Amino acid sequence: MKVSINWAQRYSNVDLSSISTDELLQKIGSQLGAIEEVTYWGPRFDNVVVAHIVSCVQHPDADKLRVCMIDDGGVTPDVERDKDGLVQVVCGAPNAREGILVAWLPPGSTVPSSIDKDPFVLSARELRGVVSNGMLASAHELGISDDHDGILEINAHIAGESHAKPGTPFASLYALDDVIIDCENKMFTHRPDCFGILGVARELAGIMNQKFESPAWYLKPELPDTSKATLALTSKNDIPHKVARFMAQVVENVTVHQSSTGVQAALMRVGSRPINNLVDLTNFYMHLTAQPTHAFDYDKVKELCSGEVSIFPRMAKDGEKLALLNGKTITLTKDDIVIATDTQAIALAGVMGGAETEVDADTKNIIVECANFDMYTIRRTSMRHGLFTDAVTRFNKGQSYRQNPSVLAKMVTEVCEFAGGTAGIVVDSLANEPTESWEPLTVEASFINARLGSDLSVKDIEQLLLNVEFDVTIENDSLTIAAPFWRRDIEVGEDIVEEVGRLYGFDKLPVYLPSRTTKPAPKNAIMEIKRRLRSILSSAGANEVVTYSFVSGSLLTKTGQSTSEAYQLANALSPELEYYRLTLTPSLLQKVSPNIRAGHDAFALFEINKTHVKLHGKDEDELPLELQMTSLVYAANDKSVGKNAGAAYYQAKAYLDYIASKLGVSFTYTPIDKDPNYEVTKPFDYSRSAMVTESVNGTFIGIIGEYTALVRRNFKLPRNSAGFEVGTEGLLECVANPSSYKPLSKYPSISQDMTYQCPEALLYATLEQSLHKAITHESSDHGYDVALLPLDIFQKESATTKNISIRLTLTHNLRTLKTEEVTAFVDAVTSKVEHDLKVTRV
Amino acid sequence: MSYTKPEIIKAHSALAAEFESLTEKKQILRSKTLESLYGALRALPNDQKATYGKELNALKTEIMSWLNKVQDNQEQLPPIDVTAPFDVNTSKDEKQMLLPVTQGSIHPLMTELQYIVDIFGRMGFEAVESRQIDDDYHMFESLNFPEGHPARDDYDTFMTTDGLIAPAHTSTMQNRVLSERKKNLEAGEAIAVVIPDRVFRNEDLDVTHEHTFYQFEGVYVDKNITVGNLIATLKTFMSEYFGQDLKAKIQPFYFPFTEPSFEFAIERPDSLKKGDTEADQWLELLGCGMIHPNVLKAAGIDPTVYTGFAWGCGIERLVMMKNSIEDIRHFESGKLDFLRQFS
Repeated sequence: MKVSINWAQRYSNVDLSSISTDELLQKIGSQLGAIEEVTYWGPRFDNVVVAHIVSCVQHPDADKLRVCMIDDGGVTPDVERDKDGLVQVVCGAPNAREGILVAWLPPGSTVPSSIDKDPFVLSARELRGVVSNGMLASAHELGISDDHDGILEINAHIAGESHAKPGTPFASLYALDDVIIDCENKMFTHRPDCFGILGVARELAGIMNQKFESPAWYLKPELPDTSKATLALTSKNDIPHKVARFMAQVVENVTVHQSSTGVQAALMRVGSRPINNLVDLTNFYMHLTAQPTHAFDYDKVKELCSGEVSIFPRMAKDGEKLALLNGKTITLTKDDIVIATDTQAIALAGVMGGAETEVDADTKNIIVECANFDMYTIRRTSMRHGLFTDAVTRFNKGQSYRQNPSVLAKMVTEVCEFAGGTAGIVVDSLANEPTESWEPLTVEASFINARLGSDLSVKDIEQLLLNVEFDVTIENDSLTIAAPFWRRDIEVGEDIVEEVGRLYGFDKLPVYLPSRTTKPAPKNAIMEIKRRLRSILSSAGANEVVTYSFVSGSLLTKTGQSTSEAYQLANALSPELEYYRLTLTPSLLQKVSPNIRAGHDAFALFEINKTHVKLHGKDEDELPLELQMTSLVYAANDKSVGKNAGAAYYQAKAYLDYIASKLGVSFTYTPIDKDPNYEVTKPFDYSRSAMVTESVNGTFIGIIGEYTALVRRNFKLPRNSAGFEVGTEGLLECVANPSSYKPLSKYPSISQDMTYQCPEALLYATLEQSLHKAITHESSDHGYDVALLPLDIFQKESATTKNISIRLTLTHNLRTLKTEEVTAFVDAVTSKVEHDLKVTRV
Repeated sequence: MSYTKPEIIKAHSALAAEFESLTEKKQILRSKTLESLYGALRALPNDQKATYGKELNALKTEIMSWLNKVQDNQEQLPPIDVTAPFDVNTSKDEKQMLLPVTQGSIHPLMTELQYIVDIFGRMGFEAVESRQIDDDYHMFESLNFPEGHPARDDYDTFMTTDGLIAPAHTSTMQNRVLSERKKNLEAGEAIAVVIPDRVFRNEDLDVTHEHTFYQFEGVYVDKNITVGNLIATLKTFMSEYFGQDLKAKIQPFYFPFTEPSFEFAIERPDSLKKGDTEADQWLELLGCGMIHPNVLKAAGIDPTVYTGFAWGCGIERLVMMKNSIEDIRHFESGKLDFLRQFS
């Protein structure tokens, strides 16, 4: 929302220049809202002055050029002058002639319209052999209108330009010495009135702690004389739930021409392109009051009526077409509001006028429409058709229908004045306008003070609200407050708190911390375990990554996963981000190959995040269950891996066992004998993978393994890749039962190494279990404490057996052990194991 | 896929037999049978091309799956003993299975979130995670954004095909956090919660914009909570966060779920000093405000008895400023060159 300070001043009873511009900007920032940009217009016209063309003769060597001698009142220094002090300027404009007042851009000045793009600095240079000192500018070159038909002729008798005489700084004309403040639209979302300069002017008064007085015509319509009306117009409103009010008035015998330079310049400053005097007036009053209006060509409308001239709002029909002012034809839906005659739609209500009834140079009679449309409907229509106009920006904030009569009356009066017409017939769908204001609110001063932490009296509060034209009645501590008709945002007491706090100044409020009990804040177990996992894995040389929750369908299928299990985005940014991921592993796999290419030989990437699988169903809120997962991928460039390093699986397992040991738990790895076919297991080659459970309670943890040949191929993984994906909540559950501490023995322990020759297919875990069973059996009478440590697994090439070496360490809590008893114990255990399994100690 | 075109059914079995007989399986893609099918497709009248082409494509996909299967079998590695502590014949030197600790790192965003949560923890705030899929009620409705409200335009939300929402702010947790703690509140305990988590906005990527980023939300509700409490709490946090006592300022703003609403700015700490203009003196960090009575009501809390404040702040910008990170896209890039610069 661009606000012109000069424009605001014109409609304000408060002197905005009583404080410096900087101070004003600072106050706006802290009491109205953030400013996006400030544009100082005055400096654009530095050195540009009003000049009088004293003589104007044909250029000796160019048909289209004229040589002018101009009088700048002698104010411009360092410029070549003739004996009379006049300056020579060559000009190509057809309207350059003796006697007119013009804007002169002397050498060294910058063409104002070029400032924002590619600043063009003028000099004194020859044009076909004649020196031109700078140039005489068109309104377009001055950046104050679109008019580039000729140079700007300054009309000294038009109000505001009367002091124009040679040497006057150009910026002092047309209120150009202006400051444009671009306020962030977002903060006015609930303030329809602040989309008009009048509304902002009122706020400026309020924050300057002075009482604003709205112009009389705005508070109460000043109706133009309609006694000379000749043309007929009727209307109706069958959709009052969508159109709170529909008003229109005819103006007869208007003349369409360009607006005055002042009006054009004002519109240009707030970013609106001047069109003609009628359209400019509708734009001018929209910028002023936030009430969009529209002018139809009466005679064109009449052509489109089968009988009497009538325009009215209605819902469009599905498939109905409408040609708009922007040259496009749109197909309407039954949810769009249109303005129509009895034969067809003529405007998209609240959004844009129609091409067929456009005001043009030949227009004689017009209908000015001023209405109020449902903000939600306008917003949807705007989105549906991709039309984002100034009118939409205002209507979709919810304007007040109560300003319709004032704005329409003022508009019509101005049209009569500036386009020479006479006011015609008025139609108003709300014949019995409610006279009372919005429902008043009763608020206690204590309510306001309790929320602001302030100590304001009822009187203080009253004054702050009166300044912005609220109606306030006081009774003891309580204030009964009626919002003025343009405020649609005052609904609850808290809205008054905001109003008072803002107008008083939030920066004046006492600042202190809340007081509370010393009860500790509860800790969050899942966040705590995640923090531990991060620290454990990073201390094991792994790198935490954070990757997108959204993945492509092809990433899922490349991993063997089903897109039908994944929640799909209806408005994805790209196919790369179309699905919620089913598991974390594919996202990590994607990061392997680029990192290897970047020169990293061996690494472990991990992510702790959430996943969503439809199969897992919904929670009690009927929302998809969110799975807390921890995933790790280990990868090593095959060239960098030693011949005897073993499968990558064992690297991944080392990470998972490291987690277990740091969490004080132990995991059991169970081979998988057939494809489990879960989304989480799909990337894994089950013959080289294991299901992981917690060893004591059997809590399911997840899957660990190497990846299928397809996955390795699709992700360009080195053969040395493996990883796991485990449930973070499962891990948390294990930690709840940590293993117990064993007291240390005072006596030395004795170790013996055993090597068993086992069949190739015997699982290590089977041997270990058998050993444990035998140890438990044999040690129960002796009170031994036994520990096992795997040392080596060896298999000769093409052998059908393998040798597993294990170190057994025996300790006794009460005495020193003898070597012989250890040997006897090991022998007993061995014979039991040899008996149970087809193994031999070697 | 079952084929209906006779010529394709015929070609299918011919191709299957040919595939069986081939030693160099990839040659199947150059089969004359397949080639002639494509020739026939080109010769067909336009209106028949679609159904024929669809079946031909399906056939091609099926052939590719045969090839994949063959390749899978060739590349299939032998089973391993997944219960063993290490592989058969692993040398002694290779049994050191973990990478050197010097290579490990925690993601800088996670480090920052933890740092923030720790400070709020010391200030007595508990931490709660947000969701990655939510519904309209939590994302908008319970936060006083009626259907069709223009304020919704400021949140470019991703929607799923089943009408769910990828939350565009951590405020999506406010209703849950408030209603779950209503009992404690009525027992005289303030609700003091921070919610650090991932959010999503339908925005195109560039060096400062991500569609996936992190925020931390804060909620505080008790009796007699004022605007001054809000300012003091955030100012205290920021001063602790930057390790220096800092001035704060607030600017009026609009959010549907707070009234009044503010933008909160803090004086630039010494470590992040910039130029000399007024704008350079301040760091605009977050949006905040007093919780709207409708939001409290939606959580079953009586707004005439209790008041509170809430805020939401992005994390990436903070981390980028602190570390002079030039491109926001590095965070989710998974590049080790980036990650290993953090500890």
